[in-house]
Amino acid sequence: MLIAALRRVLLSVITLVMLAVFIFIATEIMPGDALDVSLSADEIAMIPPERLAKMKQDLGLDRPAHERLLAFLNGAITLDFGKTLISKTPVSAIIGYPLRNSLILAGAVLLIAIPLALAIGIAAAFWKGRAVDHLVSTGSIIGYSIPEFVIGTILVMLFAVAWPIFPATITASTRDPALTLLASSPLAVATVLIGSIAYLARLLRTGMVDALASDFVERLRLTGIPEWRIVFLHALPAAVVPSLTALALYAASLVSGIVVVELVFAYPGLGQELVRGVTRREVHVVQAIALCSAAVVVALNLLADLAILMLDPRTRRA
Amino acid sequence: MVQPASEPIIRCSGLSIGYVDGIGATTRVVDHVSFLLEPGHSIGIVGESGSGKSTLARALLGYLRGGGRFLGGQLEIDGVEVTSAATASIRALRGLRVAMVPQNPLASLTYHIPVGRQVEEVLRARRGLLRLEAEQRTVALFSEMGLPDPEIIGRRFAHQLSGGQRQRVVIAAALACDPALLVLDEPTTALDKTTEAQVLELVQRLRSQRGTALVLVTHDLNVVADTCERVIVMKDGCIVEQGPVTTVFRRPSVDYTKTLLDASLDLTGDAPSANTLADVLVNAEKLSFSYGTGGWFKRPQRQARPTLDRVDLALGRGEVLGVIGESGSGKTTLGLILAGLLASDQGALALEGHSIAMVAGKRRPEMRRRIQMVFQDPLSSLNPRQTVLAAVMRPLRLFFGLNRNAAREKAASLLSDLGLGPEYLDRYPRQLSGGQQQRVAIARAFAAEPDVLICDEITSALDASVAGQVLEELNAMRRRHGTSVILITHDLAVIWRMASRVMVLKDGIVIEAGSTGDVFAAPKDPYTAALLSSATRVKRLNEEPTPSSLINEIAHVA
Repeated sequence: MLIAALRRVLLSVITLVMLAVFIFIATEIMPGDALDVSLSADEIAMIPPERLAKMKQDLGLDRPAHERLLAFLNGAITLDFGKTLISKTPVSAIIGYPLRNSLILAGAVLLIAIPLALAIGIAAAFWKGRAVDHLVSTGSIIGYSIPEFVIGTILVMLFAVAWPIFPATITASTRDPALTLLASSPLAVATVLIGSIAYLARLLRTGMVDALASDFVERLRLTGIPEWRIVFLHALPAAVVPSLTALALYAASLVSGIVVVELVFAYPGLGQELVRGVTRREVHVVQAIALCSAAVVVALNLLADLAILMLDPRTRRA
Repeated sequence: MVQPASEPIIRCSGLSIGYVDGIGATTRVVDHVSFLLEPGHSIGIVGESGSGKSTLARALLGYLRGGGRFLGGQLEIDGVEVTSAATASIRALRGLRVAMVPQNPLASLTYHIPVGRQVEEVLRARRGLLRLEAEQRTVALFSEMGLPDPEIIGRRFAHQLSGGQRQRVVIAAALACDPALLVLDEPTTALDKTTEAQVLELVQRLRSQRGTALVLVTHDLNVVADTCERVIVMKDGCIVEQGPVTTVFRRPSVDYTKTLLDASLDLTGDAPSANTLADVLVNAEKLSFSYGTGGWFKRPQRQARPTLDRVDLALGRGEVLGVIGESGSGKTTLGLILAGLLASDQGALALEGHSIAMVAGKRRPEMRRRIQMVFQDPLSSLNPRQTVLAAVMRPLRLFFGLNRNAAREKAASLLSDLGLGPEYLDRYPRQLSGGQQQRVAIARAFAAEPDVLICDEITSALDASVAGQVLEELNAMRRRHGTSVILITHDLAVIWRMASRVMVLKDGIVIEAGSTGDVFAAPKDPYTAALLSSATRVKRLNEEPTPSSLINEIAHVA
């Protein structure tokens, strides 16, 4: 058990290093260096050659690629992603709060979505083929397939314009405490929540339908074991195990991927910062955000793997 | 526990059960079934797949699978009319008065809960025992079931137990509340022969000690022969024959029962004579195979015990060589190596004295043509998008370069030799029955005019009566074409009927080989003897009055 867990931790670390190398290659070794990327051709033409060489030296661009890779990896470990090209502020200072804010939003959504989706998914699977199930199936397809910006816009029109009880955009600033931030962004949370519940409820319904159709459930029913014990003690863990990996990926996508919602509501998260970094051609910012997102994916996957190890004894061998 | 003998525990009269599908059509799977079972007595329900026996077994616990409906008749279990009773009173029966031992013990135990806790759960939920009492009772039950180290076993998960141990745990869970009726659904299909004998002995012992009435549902007439007093033979949802086991098995009154008896037990008559091996066609030496394990971060290692361990084999021209063994004995691996689908780790393979490559891809087309194989599952070995005709024509065109018309004619004649008329030529595999699919696969193999045909469990996916016909046709075909056959099977009756020589595999090693008559008459190895005696119980029923003495004999041998 312990060895199996350690193996997975080691694999995660290796994955992360490989991802870091890949991100570095993708952003730095591709044709053109950081200066070419961050400045337009006209700007470069305007700068005197000596100054350009000085700038390259300051940024360390004159060193060979493998040295820069080592420096990048070293920086990633110490959370020092270098300075921005233009304003010379440390990258970690720029993305620190947006990263926290994205984690807050995703965490709040999951905290509400997971229990609700569990309840909905279990109910739909238990009454499979009945009215509840049809309602859930139809509802979740609609909820999951409408783009978030449409849901967001509808919510704003309903609850901020027609019936102004919530603010349309977020008034809190980047460095406000977590609760202040959440309290000022109920519509952003609700928008992400609708899609999340729809997706997770479908996921859990499928897992639960399979679990309830298994032979051990039939044996328990034929032994007269109370239905609640069968559903919650026997079938539920068996339904959750195959859903965990998908759940982890979904959670990770919430942290790094709700760019649209952040833009619609002006939520000060990682997505907004990424968009800003790309438009301002801040290579180091983009690298750092990419690496953070990757780290979140890897970490959540690791958590899912460890949870599966705990829930499914069959995976514990080696 | 035991009620007055006058009050039956099962009173079933005119019972009909059907399944309603999505569009509201009803398929009747149990049709006007009537029988009685007195407390403490035992009855076997036999039939082929689709005979409705499993539906009937579950109905005895007032349980129907999704879409199931009682269509008529009465079914009274321990005084409760389950066709009309309220859910609560049916639930009160289950576990306490009637219990079920399901078919697949591994899938029937919750994989993420230790097995001991699952038996404790029955005692706590159904009997209201406290935790400590339930724990003690479970340990006692486990030792009554003959499980070694009951406390330690109880803390294990289902996948950590052997097949026999799992079956004992499931039986313990069923018997936890001391029910008056125990229903066993194919209790031995997942077990090997040695374990099967031990589990059946346990069931017998429990019945005599506890006075539990027994319903045993199975397709294996041998199991019924030594476990039950009475037998019901079912076909297409109807009871075609019922009565005392000795009467029904000795003097079956219905043809269908005779077919079942013939197919599964008949070792009468003479086995084909063993011709001396003057003309050796295939010679194999020291065939061995181990499945490797390991991956990127683990040193690849070979499994401790090879699947196949230095097996020698000689096949004479025109003869049928039987290869027999239980699942896991390596017999399928042997077949795959001979067909060139797996490469042996060592050893050599020769056809007519000429060495041939281990892998089919490296053999010359002529060599590939001369060795053909028929697989266990006909549906997955036929291309679903190829018609019957196309499947059989392909080898004809590939190996003999026949033009379309000639190939078509030849294919049609091969298929008609196997009893498939012209109306089947343009059908797809899915539109055929299992027996017809296997006939197509056999025709396709014979189309290559092979010298050697490897048949791997070709009848085990078929019902007994169909299996008999397919074997007859195969026998006729191989005589006509002079083909040598390697017949891989776990069914001794098949070997007896067709093979002149037999080799017995166990754990990848040949433990016995010789002419079929000699091996069956006087097995030298105790394992072969156990295989034989468990397959011939019905036959011995005709000679010996007490079936129980046989069980002891098997248990002894094992």
